[in-house]
Amino acid sequence: MITEEKLKILTESAKYDVSCSSSGSGRKNAGGMGNGYVAGCCHSFTPDGRCVSLLKILLSNDCIYNCKYCPNRLDADVPRATATPEEICELTIDFYKRNYIEGLFLSSAVYKNPDYTMERLLLVVKKLRTEYRFHGYIHLKGIPRADEKLTEEAARYVDRMSYNIELPSEQSLKLLAPQKSKESLLLPMKKLTEQSEAFREEKKKGLVKGYFLPAGQTTQMIVGASPERDGQILRLTQALYRKNGLKRVYYSSYVPVVKDKLLPEVGAGQLREHRLYQADWLLRFYGFSVEEIVDEGEDLAMELDPKCAWALRNMHLFPVEINRAPLEVLLRVPGIGAKNAYKIMEARKYTKLSFEDLTKMRVALKRAKHFITCNGKFFGAKNEYAVRGLLAQAETQESAEQLDLFGMLSTPQNALIALHGQL
Amino acid sequence: MVYIFDGTKSGFLTAFLVAYADPEAVLASEKIQLPLGQTPVFVATDEARAEKAKNRLLAFDRDCMRDLDTLLRSGMENREQIALGYFRVLAREKRPVSKRLAEREVFEAVECMKKVGHEIHKFHGFIRFMETASGALYAPFAPDNDICDLLLPHFRARLPQFPFVLHDIKRKKAAVYDGQNSFVAPLERAEILLSANETGWQALWKRYYRAVNIPSRERLKQMKGYMPVRYWKFLPETQTSAEDL
Ligand code: SF4
Repeated sequence: MITEEKLKILTESAKYDVSCSSSGSGRKNAGGMGNGYVAGCCHSFTPDGRCVSLLKILLSNDCIYNCKYCPNRLDADVPRATATPEEICELTIDFYKRNYIEGLFLSSAVYKNPDYTMERLLLVVKKLRTEYRFHGYIHLKGIPRADEKLTEEAARYVDRMSYNIELPSEQSLKLLAPQKSKESLLLPMKKLTEQSEAFREEKKKGLVKGYFLPAGQTTQMIVGASPERDGQILRLTQALYRKNGLKRVYYSSYVPVVKDKLLPEVGAGQLREHRLYQADWLLRFYGFSVEEIVDEGEDLAMELDPKCAWALRNMHLFPVEINRAPLEVLLRVPGIGAKNAYKIMEARKYTKLSFEDLTKMRVALKRAKHFITCNGKFFGAKNEYAVRGLLAQAETQESAEQLDLFGMLSTPQNALIALHGQL
Repeated sequence: MVYIFDGTKSGFLTAFLVAYADPEAVLASEKIQLPLGQTPVFVATDEARAEKAKNRLLAFDRDCMRDLDTLLRSGMENREQIALGYFRVLAREKRPVSKRLAEREVFEAVECMKKVGHEIHKFHGFIRFMETASGALYAPFAPDNDICDLLLPHFRARLPQFPFVLHDIKRKKAAVYDGQNSFVAPLERAEILLSANETGWQALWKRYYRAVNIPSRERLKQMKGYMPVRYWKFLPETQTSAEDL
């Protein structure tokens, strides 16, 4: 059994990896323990409100690299630990058996050299799958610059892999993570995407069995440690979704754990992170392209969510009739989420929906009412200024409730501005 | 009029036939607070009539018995009444009605069923097994809805080699998998002898839980929203012991 001390060292710094998703894999139980849960599953929630789904742990925190923002960089004076493959396997199995976790998220500092680290990681996942006959979820972090063959082999054992881009531009990488480069991160991602496509083809033909990253790849970017604007970040995101076939991009607002003159002293607000996720949803599920959302050199508006902001720039498209608008249009109405859009599509087959019907169906109308008509009737505010003010006000109230704000919107001046719609 | 039945599906179907024509009908299975001057009608379950009602309703919607099962498992006090409303709409429309969300009765029933479904999903995550000396796994919990047997397939598929017990403390019953078969049985109290390593693993889990939290970002309200405090009693990670302080 791994010691508590070692566990603490190896998990403390793994927590800044935001991805905890365990979704996307339908891996079957083939004797032994565990299976995938396509929808993903949260096993607990920590007091910071985050879901605990996977055992996030480093194989080692003993790093030869020197990324400026990282508490485990070579120069840092921190306790070091390296786990044995058996320690990781046992921990995974015993946590899983008790239903504490949905699986393992294994990552590592670059220990000795990239190839050696990747070999050890491969050893762990191979052992888990073959010796321990574990079929639960495994997310493996790839090590940049490791031998391609090792990476490809690992991909056959795990459900998901990720290379974290961390810094959204080559320049920032050079400055803050000198041993990494855009190339060293994007290249293996591309390779894996190609390989998994090839694998899927062969599997269809019955030529191969097993799995190859059934839950795909993801990546993460730190927001606010370097000067890139949201517009630039989201363009990279869009390219990763469209060209590299990534499943998800995560954003992590920078938390200053390390002092360095090249790094900002304060963290990026969580509000910025929140807005990026909202924009990301628009890209993935609502049929938006980044060009509609924000200019390259701009940041997302803080006072409004990106869908509202887009709608306000496109008032000529509204209001739309709730009983006739096609799905793609409903999805673009502020305040109507995907679930509600589908609910409306269903319910209107049986009756002409009135404003009251929507209320009964608990479709939130605070925002939507300014952009829709129900049987030709409009219930929103009269002019654009008023709409803008009311939306900002709704946002202030909700953010204050949901996100226990974050200075900016909770100051009385800003609330007042919001009320008057002058933002 | 208030109609009381035994809480079973057949009981509901019998009572439904009796109460259908009464627009003021209140259907209930437990002792409810009766409005002043009301005497309830006790409806005795009649399997033959229930079977007939079932077949007629199934002809309208072949999934409706699954819906009834789910509704009657709900922990909501007025679950029978909600079911009555829903089946009334079904009997009136004579075809599946679950998508007619603009109808209050349907909406309420669908929400009620969703709650049951959500709780099942939640407990796929929140169940906590303890390892006993024999190697069998034991999980006590107190769900809002009557779902312990509905959790069986999930854990069976996942842990086929481990006998386990899902013990609903509130309803004093358990869903049991003995390594081969599963069944439901009444269970008041369980005498458990833990395995030698159990406390060690629990301690590691608690250590892990504390390590992954980011204290500077405390959002308790959100945490409690996702993981209601009433579930905490059975989670090792939310129990503070002397050594954690
Ligand atoms: S490679 Fe960079 S980010 Fe990763 S552990 Fe080493 S110093 Fe930290």
